[in-house]
Amino acid sequence: MIKATRLTKRYGDTAAVDNLSFEVKPGIVTGFLGPNGAGKTTTMRLILGLDSPDEGSVTVNSKTYRDTPAPMQEVGALIDPSAVHGGRSAYFHLLWQAHSGGLHPSRVDEVLEMVGLADVATKKVGGFSLGMRQRLGIASALLGDPPVLLFDEPVNGLDPEGIRWVRTLMRRFAAEGRTVFLSSHLMSEMEQTADHVVVIGRGRLVADLTMDEIIKRSTQSHVRVVSPRAHDLIPHLQARDAVVTNGIEDQLIVSGLDATSIGAIAFGFGIPLNELSTQRANLETAYMELTSDSVQFRAGSDSTATQELAST
Amino acid sequence: MTATTVSTRGPSANMSPGFSTALKAEWTKIRSVRSTWIIIALALVLCIGFSAGTALISGLTFEDWDANAIETFDPVLTSNAGSLFGGILLITFAVTAITAEYSSGMIRTTFINNPRRSQVLAAKAVVVGLIGLAVTAVTIPGMFLVSQPIFGHYGLETASITDRETYRTLLTVILTQGLIYTLIPFSIGWLLRSTASAITISLGFMWLPWMLGPILPEWVNQNVVAYLPDVAANSLSGFTASDAAQYLSQTPAIIVVAVWLLGFILAADIVLNRRDV
Repeated sequence: MIKATRLTKRYGDTAAVDNLSFEVKPGIVTGFLGPNGAGKTTTMRLILGLDSPDEGSVTVNSKTYRDTPAPMQEVGALIDPSAVHGGRSAYFHLLWQAHSGGLHPSRVDEVLEMVGLADVATKKVGGFSLGMRQRLGIASALLGDPPVLLFDEPVNGLDPEGIRWVRTLMRRFAAEGRTVFLSSHLMSEMEQTADHVVVIGRGRLVADLTMDEIIKRSTQSHVRVVSPRAHDLIPHLQARDAVVTNGIEDQLIVSGLDATSIGAIAFGFGIPLNELSTQRANLETAYMELTSDSVQFRAGSDSTATQELAST
Repeated sequence: MTATTVSTRGPSANMSPGFSTALKAEWTKIRSVRSTWIIIALALVLCIGFSAGTALISGLTFEDWDANAIETFDPVLTSNAGSLFGGILLITFAVTAITAEYSSGMIRTTFINNPRRSQVLAAKAVVVGLIGLAVTAVTIPGMFLVSQPIFGHYGLETASITDRETYRTLLTVILTQGLIYTLIPFSIGWLLRSTASAITISLGFMWLPWMLGPILPEWVNQNVVAYLPDVAANSLSGFTASDAAQYLSQTPAIIVVAVWLLGFILAADIVLNRRDV
């Protein structure tokens, strides 16, 4: 269990993490989402005792990290897979960590086997690909067989097989009763892996919901329309009380009207359509809506009137 | 949703992490990189080789020396000529033992695995210091023993390792160089976190004042330079004549060396605990 209470960290005048409170519970996979610069890495560093909070606190298993007697046996973390000495072999990179945690050296062989790096154990880490280093980082986190796991972008650099392997691993750990907290930018993957989601933006909590709840939060299923005369179509859709957003060039996202109706309207006004597809609400759209201001579509200066189309 | 208790736990052979586990981890780190062994090998070769070379040159040019040079010739001091190389290599070793972790970012893993920062620093200091002593314990007598026969061959004054004063000098040099050339740059490495700047500052701090000695006014040598760690160590080992401006008598010299060593480590510890990693 990870618990943040009014966690705050400032760098100069800006608050990288601002009054953040959330709980990460055992037995489920909790995703940690937010745009770049939102404070995800800072939050993880605060959890692991690398930085000290200016206000508030964060505890793991009811203890602050620096007061934990055997941290490797309580928390396993993957923060940066490239933070390794290139001249050291994978085996010795894990061995010093095992020693540091008072763990039996046989754990090194066990975790290497678990992540599929047993064959390259004696090779220097400098020659590893990003995917291999990612696996090594996951191995490091698993050394102490900890009940709490913290991963920062664990699938970064992995091939599809690797991504699926990580997903299966995360879900298995959660099923074993461990606390699994992972951050990622891969929305489609996160949607399949996480049960609960914590979203932050500009250091503040934006949402702390189950996966189902957060997807429901996004605007209901909408229709994607691509047309060379998209901007001509907009006023006709609006006249039927549709809400139009994301007007990037010839693409529109329309909610409030179904695909059939939109198709009929376009046909009625002689506007050609290149694409007309219904989009199921998903984590990506929910996330985009939560973390960016509503997109304002402004017609170009050659229109007779500036049209502002805001989503609700 | 009820959480099932975690069924798999680490092997029962787990130890409770403490200073001994920290020590083991630091030793594993140091011995598992090639640079450690290369530096040690280089130190042995360069120190002993350079001293042998110096002894040879002394022997070959002996006939042309003036009376003063012959009289002030110290077979122990001259045999120590190669220790400059040893010093540079030990400084490089001690600095990179910590700065390599900062430059690669592994320092974060170190402190995630063991958030007791002072314990980590102390464990690393012990390993680095012991390696420094192990190196000087071989190079200092090595340089001495290789030089004496060469001196003797050319008719120069020689010293015997069984001679009490010689023995005492060598032991003092082993201890002071082994610790000063490692633990002070080591602390500077923690403070500056950058390999290049820490090595440069360490080299400058160790040798610049001593080198500038001859051109500095006497009062600066007596009251400032004499209290620098490497200079005080030279006083202790007998390499500095007791009437020289940089000379410091035994008790003050011991205190000076101890204060510098402890002071630097303490400074590194304080800053480390206060800073974000």
